[in-house]
Amino acid sequence: MIRHHPDENLLLEYASGSLARGPSLVVAAHVQMCADCRSQLSTLNNLGGSLLNGSPAQPLQANAFERLMERISQIPEKIIHKSEDTPTPVPVGREPAMDHLPKVLNKLLASNPNRRWKTLTRNLQMCRLKSGQRDYEVAFHCLRSGSGLPKHDHRGQEFALVLHGSFSDHNGIYGRGDFVLREPGQVHRPIATQDMDCLCFSAVAAPVSLTGIRGLFLNPLIPFRPG
Amino acid sequence: MAHKLRHNGNGIAVKASQDYKDDWSRLLTQVGAQRDRQAFERVFRHFAPLIKGFHHSRSTQALNAEAADELVQEVMLKVWHKAPCFDQGKASASTWIFTIMRNCRIDMLRRSQRHQNRDSDVDVADIWDENLENQPLLFLQHKRNERDIADGLNALPAEQSHILEKAYMEGKSHSEISEELRLPLGTVKSRVRLAMKKLQARFVR
Repeated sequence: MIRHHPDENLLLEYASGSLARGPSLVVAAHVQMCADCRSQLSTLNNLGGSLLNGSPAQPLQANAFERLMERISQIPEKIIHKSEDTPTPVPVGREPAMDHLPKVLNKLLASNPNRRWKTLTRNLQMCRLKSGQRDYEVAFHCLRSGSGLPKHDHRGQEFALVLHGSFSDHNGIYGRGDFVLREPGQVHRPIATQDMDCLCFSAVAAPVSLTGIRGLFLNPLIPFRPG
Repeated sequence: MAHKLRHNGNGIAVKASQDYKDDWSRLLTQVGAQRDRQAFERVFRHFAPLIKGFHHSRSTQALNAEAADELVQEVMLKVWHKAPCFDQGKASASTWIFTIMRNCRIDMLRRSQRHQNRDSDVDVADIWDENLENQPLLFLQHKRNERDIADGLNALPAEQSHILEKAYMEGKSHSEISEELRLPLGTVKSRVRLAMKKLQARFVR
C-alpha cells in the first residue's frame, strides 16, 4: 500500500505545467503507480478543462482554420495506435531488477541505452540518466538490503520514488510506490530494510552533501551532474 | 447546449452548464473515428478562441497575441492528429484539449530556452499523460466532477480563484505567484489547498 504521496500543491503545479521536467518525471512515475493520485490528477485536469471552458473567447487571426487545414493536408496522416507501445528497456551489465516499472521510466531507460551503474560505496550503486534538462540530477539508486547511507543533508530539494524494496529513516518507512520529498537542510540517514535491495528513482536540485567523517570520503564520489 | 455564463470575481466567466461535455465530446469522437473535417471545424470554431483567450485576453497576458495564435495552431494540429486516442468515457473534450494545450505550452517553452539540453527521447506526453488511465471505478465519478468543478469555481472566493487562474492560465509555480502577489509562499499554498478542498467537497459527499 502506498502511504506517501506528493501533496496537492505539487500535484497542481504538475497538472498546470509549471513543475520542472526533473521533478515532473518523479511525480509522473508515482502517479502511474498510484490510483489515488491519478484520481486527484483527473480532478486537477478537469479544473484546467473548466477554466478553458470559461476563458474569454478571443478572435483569431483571419483564415486561422484554413491555414491549419492547409498544414494538415501537407502532412501525411499518421497512424496513431490507441495503446502506445512502451519500449521494454534492455538491461545493461549487472543492473538491479528493473521489471514492473512505470512506463515513463521504461521510456527513460530505453532512451539511455548507454547508461552506466557506478558503485559509490560497497552498498550503494547509482545510475545517472539523461532526461533532456539541466536543472536536476536524475538517477536511479540501489541500496543493498540491510545497509545504510551515511547521514547526509540536502542542499537542494530531492524528489524520490521507491520502486523496489523499502528503506526507513527517522521519519518513517518507505515502500514501493512511496513518494519522498526532502527539503534543503533536512538531514537523514536512510537504511534499506533487511529482506530486499532498495531501488529508488530521484531528481535532485543541488548537490547532496554528506555530513560526518565518512562523508568526507564519500563526497568526492558523488559529484552533482544534472541532465 | 444551454450555457449560463456567470462571472466570478476576476472577470473570468465560467460556464455553469449541465451538458457541455456531451456535444463537444461527441463531435471530437467523430473527428477521431471518421476523420470528419466538418466536425473538426466546429470543434475548432468553439475551442480555438477559448485557447487563445486562455493565454491572451484582458485578464491574462501569459502570451502575446502572436504567440497565442501560434499556440492555437499547434494545439489544434495535435487535436486533429490525436483525436483517434480521445475516449469520451475517460474525459470530456474540454479536459482532454486542456491537457494537449498544456503539453504544447510546455513544449513551446522548452524550445524557447536555448540553453536547455533538450536531447531526449522522452516526450512531453510521456511525462504529462494526455490519456490518464483511470481505474474503472473512477469513470462514473468523472462526469459529476466536471460539472461540480465548473459550478465550484464560480463559488470560490476571488482570492482563491485568482491563484488558480495564475497557476493554470499563466503557468506560474506557487513561488512565482507568491513573488508576484507579494504573499508568503505558505499563504499561496494554503489558498490552493482551501480551493481544492471546496471543489472536492462538491463531489465527495
